[in-house]
Amino acid sequence: MGSTLTLVAFWILFVLVVASALAVVLLRNIVHSALYLVLSFVGVAGIYILLEAEFLAAVQILVYVGAVSVLLIFGVMLTRRGNIRQSNLFNAFSLAAGVVSLALCVLIILALARTPASLPLGSWPVDTVGALAEAFLGPFVVPFEVAAILLLVGIVGAILIAREVKEDK
Amino acid sequence: MAWAALAVNWLLRPKRPQVGDQRETYECGLKTQGPTWVQFRIGYFLYALIFLLFDVETIFLYPWAVKFQVLGLFAFIEMLIFIGILILGLWYAWKEGGLEWL
Amino acid sequence: MPVWELLSVELLTAFLGLGLLVLGLLVPKGQKRGLGYLAALGLVGIAALAFALREAQGVVWEGYIIDPFGTYFKLLFLFAAILTCVSSFEYIGRLGNGEGEYYALIILSTLGMMILASAGELITLYLGLELMTISFCILATYRRGDMKSAEAGIKYIILGALSSAILLYGLSLLYGSTGSTLIKDISLVVNSGGVTPLMVVGMIFLLGGFAFKMAAVPFHMWAPDVYEGAPTPVTAFLSVASKAAAFAAFLRVFFVALGDSHPLWAEVIVALTILSVVVGNLVAIPQKNIKRLLAYSSISQAGYLLLGIVAFSTLGVGAILYHSMLYVFANMGAFMVATVFYNADKSDEIQDYAGLARRSPLLAAVMLFSLLSLAGIPPLAGFVSKFYLFMAVIDQGYIWLAILAVLMSMVSVYYYLQVVKVMYLGDPPPGRPAIEVPLGVQIALACSLAVLFLFGIYPTPLTNYAFSSAAAFFH
Repeated sequence: MGSTLTLVAFWILFVLVVASALAVVLLRNIVHSALYLVLSFVGVAGIYILLEAEFLAAVQILVYVGAVSVLLIFGVMLTRRGNIRQSNLFNAFSLAAGVVSLALCVLIILALARTPASLPLGSWPVDTVGALAEAFLGPFVVPFEVAAILLLVGIVGAILIAREVKEDK
Repeated sequence: MAWAALAVNWLLRPKRPQVGDQRETYECGLKTQGPTWVQFRIGYFLYALIFLLFDVETIFLYPWAVKFQVLGLFAFIEMLIFIGILILGLWYAWKEGGLEWL
Repeated sequence: MPVWELLSVELLTAFLGLGLLVLGLLVPKGQKRGLGYLAALGLVGIAALAFALREAQGVVWEGYIIDPFGTYFKLLFLFAAILTCVSSFEYIGRLGNGEGEYYALIILSTLGMMILASAGELITLYLGLELMTISFCILATYRRGDMKSAEAGIKYIILGALSSAILLYGLSLLYGSTGSTLIKDISLVVNSGGVTPLMVVGMIFLLGGFAFKMAAVPFHMWAPDVYEGAPTPVTAFLSVASKAAAFAAFLRVFFVALGDSHPLWAEVIVALTILSVVVGNLVAIPQKNIKRLLAYSSISQAGYLLLGIVAFSTLGVGAILYHSMLYVFANMGAFMVATVFYNADKSDEIQDYAGLARRSPLLAAVMLFSLLSLAGIPPLAGFVSKFYLFMAVIDQGYIWLAILAVLMSMVSVYYYLQVVKVMYLGDPPPGRPAIEVPLGVQIALACSLAVLFLFGIYPTPLTNYAFSSAAAFFH
């Protein structure tokens, strides 16, 4: 019973994620695209919950749905542009891009189909948050501190570039 | 049940086409001025960015807080370094005027 | 050896970078010149420390490997960063803004490269790569109000994000199929014949991501525009150090983790090599802008370095180490000349270099010998390093590939000599004064020239060091 319900939930989320991702690409108003991207993020968070990675789901909601989407929309609103209804148009390469994406998709599906389903994964922790804490502050110290420096570089860069825009005005 | 209630509502409600200014954006009873899609100032973006920075920091703090008792001094120092580096980012933003409201 | 000693190079680099950022905030405007000197001196100190610890070996927290191979690359990045800082004093001083951040970003991107070269674990590797890439994106836009610089930044960030995403997807497939992000655990799975089709897809994606950073054809399209638009010292740093970092990480992932699946990816590397060497050299011929010319030349150099990967042997890795170190000095030398010339004349066009030999014999000489070393003309060091690369592939039976590479080297001599012809035989435009070279740059130019001659005539110390590092990597 539980597994059928999970399966149904998975397919609903799957359709939600893929459909909203397609909407991101196909819609002509870039703000609408951004909003559908948020929907897609929410769907991915749902899939994380199904995979029993609750903390990751919370992170997905907080960072992607909460902060990144705000940043995205501000980014759109900052740029100078013409008619917003025609802001996410296709260019001459759309056909080629479509063919390449389709070929890649087929390739990955073929590879997936030929791969034995049993993945050599060990047991995963029940307490995901605790395990994450032990990983961050245990064996993964180097990437953990590098992540802090990376965030710092990101903010310094944004301010440097923004300062230039401010001075132009 | 909730969906059913909504669906019944939608089926039963009177359907009149909206006329005149009923479709306009409501803004305290006044007509809206100019196009809605205006260009924002960069200041907003910097705020959002700094928000993102500390949002991510909070997420890293959370597991640490959960396991704080177990992890001990070494983890505490690591976390201090982590926060210290990010505080540097805040200081930088402050000093360079990223927090000024234009 | 205690952890702090093993990590001392990285820790000091991080400390120097963050310290410069803080000092940039504290020092009043107009007095920031000293920050550049401090950055260069600090880097020299760290390089000395790295050299002293060149034999150090150890693993920190499972996922971070300190070994002679990684330290060799760290020294390379440090040399490149020092030369970049020295050639930036004038250039960045003129921009008048953001000097503290500039040097901090150079040093933090060096830190990213170091992490890339030492990463024994996929997440560490990815974070190092991002730290390097993001820093370069910001540095590329440093020329204020210049449309080309802005274009360079946006191109690098969008294409860089795309390639990072592809790489990350490859990493996740690798993790998904092996159940570990540790390179040594992945190699265990691969050794026991656990390669699945999905893993092969992951390898292809990884290859694409790394080839982008190396600027190997067909993943090179960003390089000419970014190189042209970015500030010249940044271009120099980007062309030597980020390429070397990509090679370091590539070697670690493909030779150690995926070494036993070598037959699966060998053909792809051969294709990348041929394309890079041919396209890079042929497209360089019609270039009119010195930075674009050097961009295509650096694409072809990526092809030569890939020869060492094709060889898949200790000799090949040693040749990569040796060639990439000399490539740093040859390319930095050429770019330093371009920087000084731009400071004086505000031009990067080759035709404006006319008569440079009369306006500044030093600049013309450094440009001449750097280009000749890039082309691989004896007695310069580039000849020896190319010789080792060709030997490495011949050793593995790829004689036709070596012949092709030699033929393309001949082509490269042609376009390098075009620049030389303009510099030595052209007449300087009337009324142009002699170019003054600042003392620091003079020293840096002399150093790189000395390196090119010294290791061309007497290569033994460096080859010994490179090949012993390669042997330690392969054991």
